[in-house]
Amino acid sequence: MQLSKILIAGAALCMAGCVTSHVEDDRETTTGLNDGESIVIMAKSYHQGNETEADYITCIERSLQSGSKGLNVVPHQEFVDQLFPWFEPRTAPADTKGLPALMKRPGVAEAIKDMRVRYIVWLDGDTERVAEGGSLSCAAGPGGGGCFGFAWWQNDADYDASIWDLSDHESAGTVTADVSGTSFLPALVVPIPLIARTQTRACKGLAQQLRAFIVQ
Amino acid sequence: MIDRLRLASLFSLAGILLAGCASTVTMEMPTIPKPRMEKIPVDVAVRMPAEFEHFVHVEEVLGKDTWTIDLGRSNASFFAQLFGHMFHSMVILGPDDDPRDYQFDALIEPTIEGFEFSVPSQSQSQAFAVWIRYRMAIFDSVGNRASSWTVSAYGKSEKEGIGGSDSLRRAAVLAMRDAAALIIMQMEKATKIRQLADGPITPSEVEPDEMQADAAASPVSREPESVIGIFAIGGIDDAAE
Repeated sequence: MQLSKILIAGAALCMAGCVTSHVEDDRETTTGLNDGESIVIMAKSYHQGNETEADYITCIERSLQSGSKGLNVVPHQEFVDQLFPWFEPRTAPADTKGLPALMKRPGVAEAIKDMRVRYIVWLDGDTERVAEGGSLSCAAGPGGGGCFGFAWWQNDADYDASIWDLSDHESAGTVTADVSGTSFLPALVVPIPLIARTQTRACKGLAQQLRAFIVQ
Repeated sequence: MIDRLRLASLFSLAGILLAGCASTVTMEMPTIPKPRMEKIPVDVAVRMPAEFEHFVHVEEVLGKDTWTIDLGRSNASFFAQLFGHMFHSMVILGPDDDPRDYQFDALIEPTIEGFEFSVPSQSQSQAFAVWIRYRMAIFDSVGNRASSWTVSAYGKSEKEGIGGSDSLRRAAVLAMRDAAALIIMQMEKATKIRQLADGPITPSEVEPDEMQADAAASPVSREPESVIGIFAIGGIDDAAE
């Protein structure tokens, strides 16, 4: 019984690779969210070279919405459609200086008021494979097959979130998450993947810090 | 009999291999949201070229695969929605309709000048990208060419799933939305279309390469001398409005 528990715990540990993470914020103003107020999560424009993954944005949205203290999150596509064409990749304001002029455009301030959006969170960054090595070969024949060798790779997830307060038309601050994870794939007949969930860790870390930053 | 079976097997195998090297993406009708803007007080007619009824683009990735994107009527639908949102009133003319049978302040003839896309194996990235270049010829109510304007639009979508068809489709929709955003932001300034509500242009304002807005004219085959091209990146260009 004892041995089986140790084996299960060992297996669980082995199934995850090594991950190191660093999440921090830089506050410029006080924040807070009143009842009924919402936030929206947006990716910075690909016209500016940003490559934030769609599934990362979805992960942040879901993480902020979940739990008993979940925030009201307006789906980003709904927000972009409601304010068409002022939040398209080409036209979205690059900084808070453009907000007052944007709010004066016909129907923009009213649409934001109707959706009760208080903060826009702009995500920038991505997850990249920065190193890899090892060698793994597999073979199969009439009598069966198998793999032999060892491979590893390292992913770095670097994301910045800029929080804009739409009530004051100013930047509230930034939250950053830097996560590095190394995955291993040893194989002795059967490959055993030990995957570092780098992007997932970066999502959870950033979402947790964002929630604390906004709600205080 | 065995030879026939072998031949059939070989043909089947070749068919499977060839099918694996070609991808066809069919566009669905794009939806352009109602823009947050004041309508331009101009009554326009929009003449859709025949190619807008069925536009197909084929791109061969050298030594790899062939991608076919079938835009179908999506361009016609896109411009009908967009100009319907932008102008006081709009009437759609088919390629064979005579504009003289209709009343309008300005006639717009959109055409596709260029369509390109890249797949991840070409760009060494995880994204599909689509570039569309539209040209819009604008005529006054009596058929004088008032202006000709080129719009270059870009859409990019991260690869999702095995084939990537959905990603390419999304990149094309994003390129159309990009074009719509540009047209909404810049068209009035670039083409001075609002002035056509006051009547036809004077002879001195006619574009050097004049083209009559009748059903027989083909805007694709003739290049105007003055073309305004706009491709702004990042943020709202207030100065240009």
